[in-house]
Amino acid sequence: MSETPLIAVDRMTRVYRVGEEEVRALDGVSFDVRRGEWVAVVGQSGSGKSTLMNLIGALDSPTSGTYCINGRDVEKLSDDELADLRNREIGFVFQTFQLLPRSTALANVELPLVYRGVGRAERRERAVAALEAVGLSNRMHHRPNELSGGQRQRVAIARALVGQPSLLLADEPTGNLDSATGEDIMRLFGELHQRGNTILLVTHEPRLAARCPRAIRLMDGRVVADGPGGEVALLGVAPAKVSA
Amino acid sequence: MTRIRRAISEVGEAFRITLGTLASHRLRSSLTTLGIVIGVATVIAIVAIIQGLNSSFEESIQGFGTNTLYVARYRWLDLSGEYWRVRNRKPIGDRELRAILRESTVAVATSPTVSVAASVSRGERSVERVNVNGVGAQYLVANGGGVRAGRFFAESDSELARPAVVLGAEVVDRLFPGMPLEAVLGQRVLVGGHAFSVVGLTDRRGRFLGIPMDNNVLIPYTTFGHFFGSKRPMNIAVAAPPGRVAELEDELTSILRKARQVKPGKPDDFLFNRQDQFLKFYQGLTGALYAVAVGVGFITLIVGGIGIMNIMLVSVHERTREIGLRRALGARRATILTQFLVESALVATMGGAIGTAIGLGVAQLIALLSPLAAAATPSAVALGLGFSSLTGLVFGSWPAWRAANLDPVEALRYE
Repeated sequence: MSETPLIAVDRMTRVYRVGEEEVRALDGVSFDVRRGEWVAVVGQSGSGKSTLMNLIGALDSPTSGTYCINGRDVEKLSDDELADLRNREIGFVFQTFQLLPRSTALANVELPLVYRGVGRAERRERAVAALEAVGLSNRMHHRPNELSGGQRQRVAIARALVGQPSLLLADEPTGNLDSATGEDIMRLFGELHQRGNTILLVTHEPRLAARCPRAIRLMDGRVVADGPGGEVALLGVAPAKVSA
Repeated sequence: MTRIRRAISEVGEAFRITLGTLASHRLRSSLTTLGIVIGVATVIAIVAIIQGLNSSFEESIQGFGTNTLYVARYRWLDLSGEYWRVRNRKPIGDRELRAILRESTVAVATSPTVSVAASVSRGERSVERVNVNGVGAQYLVANGGGVRAGRFFAESDSELARPAVVLGAEVVDRLFPGMPLEAVLGQRVLVGGHAFSVVGLTDRRGRFLGIPMDNNVLIPYTTFGHFFGSKRPMNIAVAAPPGRVAELEDELTSILRKARQVKPGKPDDFLFNRQDQFLKFYQGLTGALYAVAVGVGFITLIVGGIGIMNIMLVSVHERTREIGLRRALGARRATILTQFLVESALVATMGGAIGTAIGLGVAQLIALLSPLAAAATPSAVALGLGFSSLTGLVFGSWPAWRAANLDPVEALRYE
């Protein structure tokens, strides 16, 4: 008897219309992610990783194929139900942090709980705990412009964690950081993985994908490799060099 | 339960966002509300002045006697041009007065009024063109009003045609400046060159429709006839007991038709004036003013509303990424819609509050500097706030709808 996977993607296709032309951003992608896994989705720009991330994040719907998270078929959900699903099941971490500039770190972290209707006191308590978990207990009342890039991304990660979602969905989380700070953030993801969080890391850097236990390589909207991070990351480098 | 808690926390968040936006865009917010401020201030000032006029009008009309019919040939405030049809009617005079006094069973008080403009003087001091009224002993009962010192005429004053006079407040002010009221009683004055003795002083009545009501003196109508002639057209005020005005009108109609020998089938050649004619006329007048105020207010609110819509569209545009983020974090479309509606309604209501304050201030200023009255009623304040927030909601709805229907993916990626 096999446990239902957290994420089940089956022959998922996403076609965009650009004028007269059809662009198949994703072309029949299938894979599962089990609870507690740390998976990298790696590929060059235009490979379909952003499209995949939008679909997994329930921000967009597939043209065909199915996507289930926690056993729920996303395609059958209404717009409101999708909003609730994003609120409860998914914690987003963006390349550009996407913090509200005029709000304190604490208020930024509280935001997902506001949309869940959690009371003020509990909201505050959980936001404080989430900020402590990412090592920012002394920066809670600072605004984003008073924080360094790494600290901002930690606030964003605390915001993603505060609702205890099933999945952390990180899109190039180190893309706007210098390598030392990026390294800190990768180490933080490692810790979160150790604590049992399921993480999907979308990146174009094979170096980062190599550090994940598992990686999925996308090219031209198709899965071209799915296996241990180290191997898949290396696999990707060679053809890219050849084609260039 | 969770739905309610969620709604509360979302509206709370909308208020926090709005206050943050207002604080960080002070200049923009105040310029945005300027249209609403001006519009609401204008309307509130006009409404306050109209309401002030209304209450002072209703106050002064109380003095006219609510249950009184004024028998006359012509209508007060004739706006229909009826005068040209009825101008040859026989004057009303002693014959009609005697008929009413003799035959009416419903009337509780009857007093004729005959008038002439004449000078009233005392020694060196003189007041020109005073309204000299010849009246009956029951004048105050029939026409309303009171005496603040001395007494009014008795029946004997009329019967004996005594040279007694009751002075209006303005005449007292000008003939006896600074003299105590009691000392004025018993003084001699000349009315139209004839010697009279002051027996009483009437209450101060102020102005009515801009006409001073205190520049008058009252003398017995018999004395009036003696000095100023008895052929002058007469008005007769007849008071009914409360609630029996219609009955009195029927009775007087038959008495007067007989006295004036109106043939059966011919229309009446007299009519009854009533104080509520003034009220109707006045209400018609202020009704037109109200309509103008509402029209002006409507137009300025539309202009103000367009300003708000414009700035809200800018605001939505600027915060496209924020909207995308909020959608990603679990905000529903309705949540985003609420957020922007709260913002536009709050901005507009603030403008409305400022405008209401300014409008009431202007109205008070006008009341201080001019004879116009102003009244700040709670309904005017509620109107100002209500309409401005409604404007915010109406004109904010399209920008809010656009915000709510942004594609989260596009919005998040927006640069």
